[in-house]
Amino acid sequence: MTSPTLRIFQLTGFFLWLPAINGWSQSATFSLTTNQGSALEIFSQLDPLAINTIHSWELVLYTADGAPLSGALMSVVGGMPDHDHGLPTSPVVTGEVTPGRYLLEGMRFHMPGRWLLTFDVISDQGSESATLEFRL
Amino acid sequence: MTRILIAGCTLTAVVGLLAWRLLPDPLRAEWTPAQRALIQSLSLSRLPATPGDPSNAVAESELAAQLGHRLYFDQRLSGNGKVACANCHQPQNYFTDDRTLAVGTQKGFRHTPSLVGLAFSPWFYWDGRKDSQWAQALAPIEAGHEHNLDRLQVVRLIAEDPLYKSQYESLFDPLPALPTAPHSASPLGNELLRNNWESLNLDLQLDINRVFANVGKALAAYQRKIKPGRSRFDDYADSLTDSSALMPGSLLSKDELAGLALFIDQAQCISCHNGPLLTNFEFHNTGVLAIAGQLPPMGRYDGIRLARQDEFNCLGNYSDAEPSQCTELRFAKDENDLVGAHKTPTLRNVTETAPYMHGGQITDLGEVMEHYNEAPTSMLSHNEAKPLALRSVQLKQLEAFMTTLTAPLQTEQKWLKPPDKSD
Repeated sequence: MTSPTLRIFQLTGFFLWLPAINGWSQSATFSLTTNQGSALEIFSQLDPLAINTIHSWELVLYTADGAPLSGALMSVVGGMPDHDHGLPTSPVVTGEVTPGRYLLEGMRFHMPGRWLLTFDVISDQGSESATLEFRL
Repeated sequence: MTRILIAGCTLTAVVGLLAWRLLPDPLRAEWTPAQRALIQSLSLSRLPATPGDPSNAVAESELAAQLGHRLYFDQRLSGNGKVACANCHQPQNYFTDDRTLAVGTQKGFRHTPSLVGLAFSPWFYWDGRKDSQWAQALAPIEAGHEHNLDRLQVVRLIAEDPLYKSQYESLFDPLPALPTAPHSASPLGNELLRNNWESLNLDLQLDINRVFANVGKALAAYQRKIKPGRSRFDDYADSLTDSSALMPGSLLSKDELAGLALFIDQAQCISCHNGPLLTNFEFHNTGVLAIAGQLPPMGRYDGIRLARQDEFNCLGNYSDAEPSQCTELRFAKDENDLVGAHKTPTLRNVTETAPYMHGGQITDLGEVMEHYNEAPTSMLSHNEAKPLALRSVQLKQLEAFMTTLTAPLQTEQKWLKPPDKSD
């Protein structure tokens, strides 16, 4: 993927991830690229992210050339690989708020440490996925 | 000569082994930034305001708390006239009792959990089968081995006691007119109670349920006031704002500090006992033995099913919430790894709330530390905890840290004793 927009997303994602390395704070915004080259921006409505509070995320999908990716079916699974368990809730994408912008409800994290989430997307473009790793 | 040599080697090995098990490691001079942040995250200073309960419109009402306070200590809220909420959830014992299993009208099946700070929990009971404090408060009243009363008699008590009636009707709609017979009725309980319930018309059933739910809401308004107080640990955690030095002896002893270091690091207690209440209010299988004489319980696996079926849940007719506000119930997890999982309790005041676990299976804190150090195989599903391989001295240090979490409750004294007649 060579789009300048995407490179900005990737760099932004890297820098936003940096503070989390120390294990005491976590930005509420992430930028990812799916395995098919779409861009996925994530905005937590709980900012900064924290444990033990249920909240929603907004997921914003763009095609590789920067157009909103509308009408997609999205789902998320995840957990803590170091503890061999999943999320404490079953979050669900409950709707598309505006074209390409989706509401993910029911997010909650119940432990400090490393979390790994996988977003699956099915759209007119086919199936794709993206993985997010962060620490709380 | 050879014998002396063997004896000398054996003695050295024994002394070495004992020293390894019993002598503490030296303390570091300073916390790392990550450790310091984790310690501060446990301070009561970081506790947010009590979360609202959209399913309970009177959750913040002082009058509802007064009504709930009176009900909480009222033994008339039982079939034999001898059981009040306060019998098991005793204010002088941090709202628990010192029994292995609770005793109401009969011996129960679970250990009494503390009510301290529970307004912060999204789920109630050890298995999370209730999703609000008010829905939880209703179940023991009708349980045969607890209060052993029925909902029609609860409504009668409210209607026949002038003070209850006055307080109730100041908060809620007027009480319904009650028939002289039957005297008792409930959709739960024995056949007589269920038949009596069926003999009532549907509108009256709904009215009775409404009043019963409101009794729970008043009890919840009172219980929301039960909050932990600042302990030595909180003062220590807050002192780290200006310094990362461990400062042994100033607020916490060397052993307590070593225990704190283990708590947040090697022992990984903080994985579940996290946040200012030292609990994530989540459900975990930690390989605790079944309660004597009982099959291993399914825990949260059954609990979430019961919560979904509960007519008094957040999405039910008696909830004051919009469905969109019932996020915990709507997005609750329902998977096989919840088999045998029970709710993490707070560690606030844990030295004063023995015995431990959902069945009071473990007598004292020393045994609790041994249990987590060993992480035995679970009787059902799998134990999430892993063996810790801590030394004896380290288990003692963890136990020492627990003593820093005890403090008088923050709750006003008037709520910790039965109400005066004038209240």
